[in-house]
Amino acid sequence: MVQHDNAVERNDGENFQEHNEISEQELAHRKQFLELGDEDIARLSGINDLARRYAADVIDDFYRHLMSFEDTRSFFSDPQVLQRVKNMQKEYFLRLTEGNYDLGYVQDRLRIGAIHERIRLPIKSYLGMYNFYLRAVATRLSEAFHAKPAEAWSSFLSLLKLTFLDMGLAIETYIASSERTIRAQQEAIQELPTPVLPFREGLLIVPIIGIIDSQRARQLTEQLLNSIRGNRAKMVVIDITGVQSVDSRVANHIVQTVEAARLMGARVIIAGISPEVAQTMVTLGIDLGRIMTVGDLQSGIERAEQLLGYVVTRSRSTELAAG
Amino acid sequence: MRASILKLGNVLIASVQGSMSDADLAQMRDELVLDVRRYRATGVIVDVTLLDVMDSFAARTLRGIAQMIKLLGATAVIVGIQPEVAFSMVQLGLTLEGINTALDLEEGLALLKVPGIGAHER
Repeated sequence: MVQHDNAVERNDGENFQEHNEISEQELAHRKQFLELGDEDIARLSGINDLARRYAADVIDDFYRHLMSFEDTRSFFSDPQVLQRVKNMQKEYFLRLTEGNYDLGYVQDRLRIGAIHERIRLPIKSYLGMYNFYLRAVATRLSEAFHAKPAEAWSSFLSLLKLTFLDMGLAIETYIASSERTIRAQQEAIQELPTPVLPFREGLLIVPIIGIIDSQRARQLTEQLLNSIRGNRAKMVVIDITGVQSVDSRVANHIVQTVEAARLMGARVIIAGISPEVAQTMVTLGIDLGRIMTVGDLQSGIERAEQLLGYVVTRSRSTELAAG
Repeated sequence: MRASILKLGNVLIASVQGSMSDADLAQMRDELVLDVRRYRATGVIVDVTLLDVMDSFAARTLRGIAQMIKLLGATAVIVGIQPEVAFSMVQLGLTLEGINTALDLEEGLALLKVPGIGAHER
């Protein structure tokens, strides 16, 4: 008997929404973790003039670099797009040394991350951009501060902290987006209808495809029980060929459905347990011992017909060809 | 409210009313057991169509009835469990294991092979 473990079910539904929202508190926490403090902000603001001077060159170099690679070049084939992106990059670049790293800054960074994600720029290219900037700035800093190498070094470290804050945000935009996609797909799968099909007098067939969660299992059971009453069914074949994975929770749902059907006087046959599912069930110690199981839907129907007393015979074997 | 117990050939039919107390259920059990012996019944049908809630006491009593009747050499069938009741029963783990169930009185009679009655006679 499978244990009732409904209590440990999680409600996955709400976690993925508004993933990009970052609170004041969260931002402060992140800065703290990166040890990005007022001193860093002062140092970064201190090199703003310098950044303004070399921004155009760095951006040009950067795009020359981008254009020298086949996979990144394709994103900027339109010269107009390239010019617009360059301007945006320049703004972005200068923003690094403007000293105001508040929630507005975060929103700006998230927005830019989302744009890159939308055009499907791979995350490796996105991170490569940070790498390029950091190296370009390091070179320029050491030139500008050649008399005071310690200052160049500490400014660079401050920039490094801020850059990592940005990278964290950018990666999160990418992850949030793929999580949204996964969520949408899961919903689509879960919304797949599960029809209860009257197959013969007294026999229902229920093909299940996709993921069984508690809500869907409940819906399925209710629908099945009402159909048993409505069709005066005595046998039900539930085909789970289309169910890829079974855990103890899903198995529990199946067992409950079978038992509820039996209370209404209908016997259930489970058909189409795949080798993988069979392995998982045995490994998890799930006992379907009292439940009739057969290999595939055809065997299920044959077994049900036999139990209902149907005898199926072929009257003529060549009728198909005539039609 | 007391349960009505009807005799139909060798079969006894007990109808559980919607508003039966635990004591009423227990009394029905006692009467049924006596009647099986008295009428030499071979089958007993307990119809719970009107029952809209099945608590653990009711489920235990039904199970008890079925087991006692089996000991007396007859067959018991519980009929008329409604979809909502069935669903909440399995949630509570009240699965009436090993006990005959049927959709309604008609199917129950068919299961007991009462001649001339039943939707799918075989």
